[in-house]
Amino acid sequence: MSERDAGSEPASASDGGSADPGIDGREGARPWTDRRVGQVLALAQREFDTVVRTRTYAGLALAFGLVVVALPSLGGLAGYLPLVLDLLTPVEVLVPVLAFGFGAWTVLADAQSGELDVVRTYPVERSTYVVGAYLGRAVALLGAILAPLVVLGVATPLFREPATSVLASHGTVDSPVYFLRFGALTSIYGLVTLALAMAVSSLARSRRSGVAAAVLALLVVVLGFDLLVVFGVGQGLLGPDTLSLALGASPPAAFRGLVLRTAAAGLFEAGPPAANAVASGFGLAGWLVAGLSVAAGGAWSRVKR
Amino acid sequence: MTDSDSTATDTEEGASATDHPADTAGGERPAGDAGTGNGDAVTGERDTGGTGDSEGAGYTGGAASGPVVVDSVRRSFGDLTVLSDVSFSAPAGTVNCFVGPNGSGKTTLLRIVAGLLAPTGGRVDVAGASGRSVGYLPQSPSFRPQFTLRETLGFYEELAGVEIDPDAVLARVGLEDVADRRVGELSGGMTRLFGIAQATVGEPPVLVLDEPSSGLDPTMTEHVGTVIRELADDGHTVVLATHDLETVDRVADTVLVLDDGVVQVADSPETLRRETDSETLTHAVAQYLVGEVGGLTVRTGSRGDDDE
Repeated sequence: MSERDAGSEPASASDGGSADPGIDGREGARPWTDRRVGQVLALAQREFDTVVRTRTYAGLALAFGLVVVALPSLGGLAGYLPLVLDLLTPVEVLVPVLAFGFGAWTVLADAQSGELDVVRTYPVERSTYVVGAYLGRAVALLGAILAPLVVLGVATPLFREPATSVLASHGTVDSPVYFLRFGALTSIYGLVTLALAMAVSSLARSRRSGVAAAVLALLVVVLGFDLLVVFGVGQGLLGPDTLSLALGASPPAAFRGLVLRTAAAGLFEAGPPAANAVASGFGLAGWLVAGLSVAAGGAWSRVKR
Repeated sequence: MTDSDSTATDTEEGASATDHPADTAGGERPAGDAGTGNGDAVTGERDTGGTGDSEGAGYTGGAASGPVVVDSVRRSFGDLTVLSDVSFSAPAGTVNCFVGPNGSGKTTLLRIVAGLLAPTGGRVDVAGASGRSVGYLPQSPSFRPQFTLRETLGFYEELAGVEIDPDAVLARVGLEDVADRRVGELSGGMTRLFGIAQATVGEPPVLVLDEPSSGLDPTMTEHVGTVIRELADDGHTVVLATHDLETVDRVADTVLVLDDGVVQVADSPETLRRETDSETLTHAVAQYLVGEVGGLTVRTGSRGDDDE
């Protein structure tokens, strides 16, 4: 056999390549299900590690944490219920900002670098890619969201200031359970907005359009839907019966409604109309599924320009 | 290895390949004998003067077999036609090099072969495999800079669904000593080598390499050429695009000159030189280019936004 006539006899890759299975050697191939789970975990690990090892994300998380801890602390920690109410509006705005910061470049970065093309030459389905990437970013995002909340949750009983609030003075009303619910709902809200960020990332064709799309989507998520509901009320399209249902379709309104109904001891009844709980649950679930579906649909259809 | 004794087919629409009698020259280039090329016409509107219209390593334009069979592939972006009618096949264990001016459609063709871009027309068959069918080195390979080479290979190992020895994969391209270095710390040449290593993860039967030696120093270029040759000798079918004709001359079984949207000629470097009475492959290839030698292929038309 000549030097170049080796096509029929796969050779070892290198002298030290004892583990090289050879071109036809796929002894190490795993069953499909195992392989898919392995792919999801590998993609998730890669995204999580990327976030952890990138200063920009650390800075974002730190800024978010400082604001979340500082806002209620400035007025004094009066109890869990006041804490929930103090945090509700800032979190409603800041969580989407953080989620978009964490997720808006995920697919776009791979596409811009050309690594998405490389990934696509592996037997990876687009849904696997998106789910894996999403999970990795989600774990990192949840860490960033929950860390300051944990700090506040621990600090509240330690630094509680007496009778600084009418709400806090009602000891039977205040309970860490409310704050736990708030933390859980905030996490869900973060996961939903991260899915929307992934969708934007998947559809953007360039860094510039990605920035524009992310800012626009963020405004729509934070303000747009609520404004739409206000417009609907103003036009008489939404009445008292349908308003709470319509609010469930808006991610921040749904989050707000669920917090007021489940983590604020029924205080919503004294305040403005809150979103219907069931509608809010379906609304957030719908946005989560829609975001990931759009991300999966768009991930493979892009072209590096 | 086969050489055709026929003339090229000239058709207005660049129709592909008609059959030409071919005489084999077995033994001239051992690996090239896998080039069964049962069709050999050169497509396009230019008369190739009866030279270089032989099969080379499987340049067929018609029915063919092999890990890669490209049959009458067309690709347009909006009203801009980049590939008019491209046909070839690449047998196992061969290095098939596309050369041509900038803008001639080499990268587009490679992306089609790699399955990253759908052809507007025609057919592409790539040998199926239970795992990864095509390994791909993009023109500008890039990896997440936060990860070491070993970690990056581990990631791709999971995607491929096979177990690999990262050290062996890196040793294949001579990067075993920097396995624990972060990708962001690699030089451009080393990143390109790592891109080649990545392309071999999962042992895909077909390797598509887009300008594997671009921007490398002479030593690194020679090393890349050696690696490519060894990959083919290991049984991989290598399809690559490059402007580095010295490396092509050294490692290629078949040189395919892509210009004006078609493969103008496909044959071994030796045959191209002989048939054009050229001392260098550079001079030989230039004889088949439609446009001005050294120029840029600029096509009229506009790219639509509905591409890919």
